[in-house]
Amino acid sequence: MLSIHARQVLAKAILPLLILLAVGLVLLGLVRRPAVDGVRLMATDFMAPAYHGLVWPQERAMVWLTDLRGATDLAKENSRLRDENRALRHWYDVAVALAAENGRLKNSLHWIPQTVPQYVTGRVTRDDGGPYSRAVLLDVGSGHQVRIGDVALDAAGLLGRVTEVGPHTVRVLMINDDASRIPVTLASSHGDAIMAGDDTAAPRLIFYPQDHHPVEGERVETRGQSTMPAGLPVGTVHYSAPNRPVVVPDADLDRLDIVRVFDYGDDDSQAPDAPGRVRVKKLPQNPLIGPLPFSWLPNLPDMPGRGGQ
Amino acid sequence: MVAENSTPHLHSAVEPKQTFRRALDMSIRAAMPSLFIMFSAILLSAPFGIPGQAQLQFGIAMCTVWFWAHSRPRSMPALAVFLCGLVVEIFSFGPPGTVLLSLLVIYGVAHHWRYGLSRLGFLIGWLIFSIFAIIASFFQWALVCLHAVALLSPAPGLFQAALTIGIYPSLTALFVWGRRTFANPDQA
Repeated sequence: MLSIHARQVLAKAILPLLILLAVGLVLLGLVRRPAVDGVRLMATDFMAPAYHGLVWPQERAMVWLTDLRGATDLAKENSRLRDENRALRHWYDVAVALAAENGRLKNSLHWIPQTVPQYVTGRVTRDDGGPYSRAVLLDVGSGHQVRIGDVALDAAGLLGRVTEVGPHTVRVLMINDDASRIPVTLASSHGDAIMAGDDTAAPRLIFYPQDHHPVEGERVETRGQSTMPAGLPVGTVHYSAPNRPVVVPDADLDRLDIVRVFDYGDDDSQAPDAPGRVRVKKLPQNPLIGPLPFSWLPNLPDMPGRGGQ
Repeated sequence: MVAENSTPHLHSAVEPKQTFRRALDMSIRAAMPSLFIMFSAILLSAPFGIPGQAQLQFGIAMCTVWFWAHSRPRSMPALAVFLCGLVVEIFSFGPPGTVLLSLLVIYGVAHHWRYGLSRLGFLIGWLIFSIFAIIASFFQWALVCLHAVALLSPAPGLFQAALTIGIYPSLTALFVWGRRTFANPDQA
């Protein structure tokens, strides 16, 4: 047993010691953030079934509420759905005609078909935002092939990219997170830009061409780069203030439920070497060493103190 | 009123017999504040979609540590604060260590000033707590800015501080009731 004096000293020293440990954790977080996030991901992996259990009553209540709301105005909902169905039938015909035309055109152009991406579908386990970040954790089950950098989409558009991968859970950094930078293409003005998240609902557009400003309402798609394929729907351009174009995302970033994670594979397309980039053979360090190109001159003996040594 | 002396029969000559069940009851009652922080941290990390869930995690931990550190330090020792802080850190994705450090600092302040705070009254105590809640949120914001190497908007930090300050009175009411009843080890 410790003496009373030793216990008093220990009681006084314990708080400064714990504060020192906390400062150590802060420094570790600044230097080795992935290590800390790995531990957090493991904890979420462990808790994933419990989260499902916790959220289950809320999900059931939402389903009942939706049913109840639908039951109150069935006639109005019916007529709205009939109109919507009519419009959708028209668009279905248009889509089928366009797909056939697209197939014919691709055939006549000898279009090289793109590889079909692998994907997994997962349920959002937890909103991992916090005050300063926008991220979600997905439960993708065991034995998944998800890699860092894979693309996450919901039914409508791009959500974000995978930043951490655990045994059952993956973390997706959303497009409106402050650390998110996605290269995009503007569909009508044909300009390239970077979509930068700023923790608000609508990420900003930066680095767009100054002679081709984004047009209000135009579509924004991804620009093919590394694991991100070209042409994924992102959203539409909106000017929240003069000279401040933002992207209104197609994906519903606030209410996420089922998310698909696509693996488009590595972009291994390498540009061929340009003539100016052909590796030049290194010349000998001392051009005077070795036989001279002039055959009529006698060979000079190798003497110390000559230039370049 | 000095909170430490709120149980007059503490040193009474007639004490109930110390059984295993009573010892367990006492330790659970003493650990109630820490269990409350851990349970709320885990519960609030579930995807309910409630706005300000992450900020509530921080707010509840801060209010609980502040109240129990000056009201009944035996129920909230420094080691328990450290463990609670670690649990909150694991079940949140903010800058690592900031919640833990904030909890330990606010514990140190409340524990050191506990006699003064119990004389000052609720409003002054709330005001002092508010100042520390703002400082802790500002510290968190500064670390996030340092990590991102950019000047981020301080609005989320201000919201967190406002939420922490706002929930303090209602949590205090719960804790005052708990101190007399379910979290009182002397009633075991």
